[in-house]
Formats: sequence, C-alpha cells, structure tokens
Amino acid sequence: MVTTALTRCVARLLLAPVLVVALAVLVKGYVDVGDGFAAGIIAALGVLLQYLAFGRAAVERALPLRHAPRLAVGGLLIAIATAVVPVVAGGSLLEHSPGAGVDVIKVGSVELITAVVFDVGVFALVLGVAVTVLHLLTSEAVEGAWE
Amino acid sequence: MRLGAGGAAVLTATGAFVGLLGVWLTGGGGFDVTWVASWDLRLAFELDGLAALYSLLAAGVGVAVFTYASAYLPLHLEHEGRPTTDAWRFHALMVLFLVAMVGLATAQDLILLFAFWDVTAVASYLLIGFDRQHREARLSALMALLVTGVSAVVLLIGILMLRAEYGTTSIPELFERAQAGTGLTVATALIAAGALAKSAQVPLHFWLPRAMAAPTPVSAYLHSAAMVAAGVFLLSRLHPLIERSPVLLDVLLAVGLLSMGVGGVLALASHGLKRVLAYSTISQYGYVVAMLGIGGAAGAAGACFYVLAHGMAKSALFMTSGAVTEATRGRRLSEVGGLLRDMPALAAGSGMAAAGLAALPLSIGFFKDELFFKAAAERGAWLAVIAVAGAALTFAYVGRFWGAIFLGPRPREAGTIPRLLTLPVVALGGLVLLGGVLVTPFADLARDAAATTAGMPVALDAAYHLDLRVENVMALATYLAGMALLLLRPVLGTALRATLRLGDRFGPEHLYIRTLAGLNRLSNALHDIEVQDLRARIVSVLVSGGVLVALGIAVTPFDGVYRVGSLRSDDVALIVVLAISALAALATTRPRQHLALVLTLSCVGFSLAVAYELLGAPDVALVAVLVETILTLLFVATLSLFPRDVLRREAALPESRSRRVRDPIVGVLAGTAAFLTVWAGLSRSVPSESSAERHVSLTEQAHGSDVVTVILADFRGLDTLVEVTVVIVALLGVAVLLRKGRLW
Repeated sequence: MVTTALTRCVARLLLAPVLVVALAVLVKGYVDVGDGFAAGIIAALGVLLQYLAFGRAAVERALPLRHAPRLAVGGLLIAIATAVVPVVAGGSLLEHSPGAGVDVIKVGSVELITAVVFDVGVFALVLGVAVTVLHLLTSEAVEGAWE
Repeated sequence: MRLGAGGAAVLTATGAFVGLLGVWLTGGGGFDVTWVASWDLRLAFELDGLAALYSLLAAGVGVAVFTYASAYLPLHLEHEGRPTTDAWRFHALMVLFLVAMVGLATAQDLILLFAFWDVTAVASYLLIGFDRQHREARLSALMALLVTGVSAVVLLIGILMLRAEYGTTSIPELFERAQAGTGLTVATALIAAGALAKSAQVPLHFWLPRAMAAPTPVSAYLHSAAMVAAGVFLLSRLHPLIERSPVLLDVLLAVGLLSMGVGGVLALASHGLKRVLAYSTISQYGYVVAMLGIGGAAGAAGACFYVLAHGMAKSALFMTSGAVTEATRGRRLSEVGGLLRDMPALAAGSGMAAAGLAALPLSIGFFKDELFFKAAAERGAWLAVIAVAGAALTFAYVGRFWGAIFLGPRPREAGTIPRLLTLPVVALGGLVLLGGVLVTPFADLARDAAATTAGMPVALDAAYHLDLRVENVMALATYLAGMALLLLRPVLGTALRATLRLGDRFGPEHLYIRTLAGLNRLSNALHDIEVQDLRARIVSVLVSGGVLVALGIAVTPFDGVYRVGSLRSDDVALIVVLAISALAALATTRPRQHLALVLTLSCVGFSLAVAYELLGAPDVALVAVLVETILTLLFVATLSLFPRDVLRREAALPESRSRRVRDPIVGVLAGTAAFLTVWAGLSRSVPSESSAERHVSLTEQAHGSDVVTVILADFRGLDTLVEVTVVIVALLGVAVLLRKGRLW
C-alpha cells in the first residue's frame, strides 16, 4: 500500500504525542476521565497509525514491538499481583492500599495508590494484546493481499 | 529413568496413604479457610472417620493399582501402537483422581465437595477415553460423562436448594439446622439421585459396563474403589440428612435391592471378563445402598465395612482380568481357562480376592456379609430372604469367574507377563485374607466411619461365632444356594441370555441412545435453519430475542412504565445528536457501496459517543470513540483486502427478495422490542439507595474522583481482572487460528 508523504509525516509526528496522551490518561485515570483500558487503546491506535503509514516491515524494524506479547503477559501478572499480594498480607482479594481514610502521597494530581498499579497492568495488557493482534493480522500470508 | 511417571504415581499414592494413616492414627484433624467470603464459601476439610475410610481406601488401592499400571501401561501402549510418552498423561490423570477422591472424602462443605465431584467426572472421562483412537472408548467415555455429569447437575440443584433453605452449605451446620419436611426431602432426593448415578445404580447403571472400554488399571481403580465409591460415600456423608425422610430411605433400599438383583443376574449371564466384574460392581454397590436404606447403626456399620472389603477384593479381580488378557489375549471367559498351572501366583492372589467377594470364612468378605445379613434380618424376614438370594448370586458369579479362568480345559497358552502385574493382586488378596484373620484394624476403621454416617457411636462386632445365630444360618444358606446356582448355570443359560438381550433391547441404555440421537437431530435441524447465510444467523438471534422480549413485556404490568417525561431547554443539543444518529441508522439501509456503508455505520457510533458525552458520561464517550475508531479502521482494512472488482460486482447485484421483505420486518420487530425495553427501563423510578449512588459516595474514600475508573479498578476490580484474563485468552485464540499459536 502506498501512502503520501503527508500521511507519513503526520504519522511520524503524531506518535510521541499519542503516547504522551495515553500516559496522561493512564496515570490520571483515577482523578480524571479515562483509565488503563482507554490509555492502552489510545497507544495502540498510535501504533496502528504507524502500520498504516509505513507498512509492517518498516514499523517493526523501527519500533521495539516484538516485546508486545511479553508486555501483555507482564500486564496480566501485574494485575494478578495487585490482586493476590493483599491476600498474602492478610487482607482480602484486590484490597487496595492505602485504605479508606488514610492520607495519600500526591505527585501533582497523581495519587500513589495500588489501584493505579492495577490500572497500569490493564494498560500494559491492552496495549500488548492490541499490538500483537496487529502483528498477527498483518502477517505475511495476509500482507500479500495488501499489495 | 526406570522410575518414570508410573513410579512417581506410586510414590505419591504411598505418600498419601502414609500421611493419611498418620493423621488418622493421631486422632484426625482438618482445617477451615475462607475462600470466597462474600458467598461464604470455605475450604473446610476434616479427616473424620468416614473421610479416613474412603481416602485410605482410595490411597491404599491406589498404591496397588498404580504399581500395576506402571507395568501395564508400556505393554498397553505397545499394543495400541502409541508412543510410550503417553503414559505420563495416564499416570497424571490417575493421581489427579486420587487427589480428587481424598478431597471429596475430606470436604466439609457441599460446594467444595461438588467441585471435587466434578473433577472426578472429568478425570474419569479422560481416563475411560484414554484409548481415544477407538470409537467405542470415546463413546463410552462420553456416556459416563453424560450420565454422571447430568446427574451432577441434579445434585447441584439439591445442594443449592439446601443453601436457599438453610443459608449454608457447610455439612455440620446443615445437620444442625435442617428440619424434616418436604423441602428437605426433595433436596436430599436430588442429591441422592446424583449419588446413585455415580455409583451406577439401576436404572442409571448402564454406563459402567460400557466404561470397561477403559484400560484395565482405570477399571481396577475407578470402578472398584474410587469413582463408583464416591456415590455411596455421598449417601453416607449426608446420611443424617437423608434419614430425616423415611420415604427416601425406602427408595434407597428398593434401588439397592434392585441393583443387587439386576447386577447379579447380568454378571452371571455376561461373558466378557471385565463385564462380569462391572455388573458385579453394580450389584455390590447395590448391597451398600440397600444397607444405607436400612439405616440405623447396623446399616451404617454394614455399609462402611462392605465398601472397604469390596474395594480391595474387586480391585484385585479387575487387575486379574487385565493380567489374564495380557497373558492370553483372551477377553471373554470362554477364551481362557485352565491357567492354574501357568499362573499359580495370580491364581492364589485372585483366589483370595474372590473368596473375599464370595464371603467365604477366613476372608474379610465373610464379615461384610455377616454385617449385611444382620442388618437385613433386623429389618424383617422378607429382606433376609432377598439378602440370601443376592449373596448367593454373588457367590455363583464369583465362583464362575474364578473357575472359568483358572480351572477346566486350557484353550490358550499363557505368555509371560511382568511380575508387577501379579504382585499387586497377590498383595490385595493377602490383605483380604489378613482381614479375615485379623479383622480388628479394618473393623475399627469401618466403625469410625459408621459413627460418622449414623451420627452416633456404633458398635461393630466382627468375629467368628461357632453357633447357629441367624447370620451364620444365612451364610450357610448362601453357600448352598450359590453352589446350586453355579451347578445349574448351564441349564439356566438360555434364560440368562434372554435376560441380557431384553436388557439391551428395552433397557435404560436404549433410552439413553434414543434420547441422545433425538437431541442430536433437533440440534442439527436448528443449526441448518440458522446457518443458511450470515443474515439468516443474525435474523435467528434478532427474531428470537425480539419475541422473547415482547413476551416479557406482554406479561409485565404496564402501569406507569411507559411515561413520557418533560422536555427541558438544555436537552436540545442531546435531541439534535440523537436525531443525527437515528438518521444515520436509517441511512445505513440505503448505500450499495461497501465503503459508504462502513462510513455510515461509524457515523451512528460517533454520534452516539457525542450523546454519551452530553448525558454526562465522558468515560463511556471516550471508550465509545476509541472502539468506534478501531471498528471503522478494521472494516476499511478488511475491505481493502478484497479485489476492487469483486466489491463493485457485489454492489451492482439486484436486491434479493429476502432483503426487501424479510429484513425490514426483522429490523422493525427487533428495533421495537429494544425500544420498548429501553423505554420501560428508563421510565422506572430510580430506587432510593442504588448501587450506583453507593459507588459514587464511596469513591471519595477510595481516593478517586472518577467513579468509572474507581469502579473498574477497585469496587468491581475482580470482574476487571477476570475480563483482562479473557482478553489474553482471546489473543491466544487469534494466535492459534492465524499462526499456529506463535505470538510473534
């Protein structure tokens, strides 16, 4: 598939801002609109744009996308860990700390609580799965048809 | 290397046996951990008398059978032409079964017990169907799974009824709270139905003879001391509940006696080595069910002791049949014979086991029948007569089984077999004999189990009395009648064969096959209607959904449901957006170009996202925009995969009749149903303390200010966790379909 220079230029320029927006949506999810799922999809859309503009081979050369499956599984492990660790510590499943009524350390408007860690896990999982599926759907057998 | 998977299995079983024995000898014990607090589910285990009996039996027979299997499996796999590595699978499943049996026996919570119950069903399915290249094995495995699995659902319904009625599934708490009444009778009857199917009792017995398609170690384990024992175990475990309904006890007695008779007659009539034993198992567990039906101290003591004695003896006999088949390739009683000289050790071991089953003196089996006779005679003279008749049948078919293998003419030479195929038989046979001389340890085990069953201390008197008490007279009568049956069997041959044929022709197995075939036909017919084309499939969903909703609307009261609210000035923007999406939705029916269709569809989605935003749900709007973007891109990408001219030709085709007539009707019907449902939902007054409001008020405490995120990550975090796991599973599915499981 042939894309115009304009598309390629915009795609290249947009990648970093898209990822920043995704990060913002992720870490501020607890106080503002958005959450790990939305952030993961936004980041994946940024990657999808690169696929559309430059083609599979070029993108996978330029970006470290081959870690995507690991990212997905790592995200799941993070999410499971935030769920299970409180049980080991004597609490109940997915009990977030600090608990109700306890003060929270804030960095700007970002609050340091374990729920955000859980959301980071969801983000990593969604991004990893989306990129892996992109990779699978555009695999060689399918790519021949694109030309 | 020589140890292998089989050796590991033997070590596991030995470890389990020693560990369980140690715990039991030091007075039992258990633990109780909360599992899911909000549903009050607990991991409650306790090794009480009953649990000790069944788990020690499962582990002890397990040691013998696993030893046997470690020698049997290599031979079996060689005959079947399968790689020796498949043995791992087999041994792992057998060990899983052992673990499930121990869990089942020690569980003190019905939900937990049910979980182990289902593990045994699944493991049994895989084990019976181990020779998956044979159609017979697969069908038999499916039959066992369906019969015990469907009845397990009935069992679960019974458990949930108890939970609804008494608010607990903890077995000790149920014993305290349950009051005799119709509710209790129905619930325990459902549970008993599940248990009887598991123990292969008439009329749900037919899966057991079929299950003989399994490799012999499976039968020696599952169909003597484990799987089928689980049914009578459950009846014993819940006996304090069951005995609160006298009618249920009578039903158990009747089913037990019927199974005893049917199993005994069919065992006498059958010819396959393992089939005789399978029918014998049905009959023997019939004894146990009948004793549980008699109830009381005598019934409980008899039932528990019987399970113990029978498990050891039957397992040894199953292993004998496997060893004989290995040595001679004969699978029917007529194909073997005269093996006493060739295989003296096997003959001795199985002889002791057979003596145990036939209840000869100096074997543990003598006491099992003594206790049975005692319980029966206490109930009444008629029952005593039936008991003697049943025991005589047992005597006859066990005698025939052993005699046909080891005595008489020798149609085939016996090849050499590994010593490990004989050793477990001799060991179990020795135990059967030991139990006849030194009965105290076995009797103590059964006594403690009976105390749990009966819910009170039970005296279990197992000793030889050289007098003419009623049990002894009944035993003598049994031997005489059994000998007579054995001698008369050739004369009775025609009648027995006719019985077998009658059972095949009109028995419950026939009903099962007919039902299954009928269901299959129905499902195929529905499937054919549904999948004519993609539109037909969507129609089948929309129409049936619409009709169901319309029925639901028709039977709900209308008062105050369909209210028309007032319009405010700030709603104008929302109305405009909704009008746009409605127009876009209507517009999707027009375009013939594929790309135009995709863009119109995405117009509907994006305008709805704006509507969400206007309704004050920015999180939902964000997700809607993202999902709509991805969907649109996917559609466009898919379209770009088609050659241009194909799309153009498709678009130029004239509209089919179904599209002009059927689709608008379907669309209007489904749309109207959806509209009415949403309208009814929206005009319902909001309950004062809704969960949404509770979530909003709690969000502050969870250190958040975005309710949706807090719900997803905190309040309903477990749901999210499960959902993201599903996402990973879906990814694996995609990878398997597209790239044979390679992720990158």
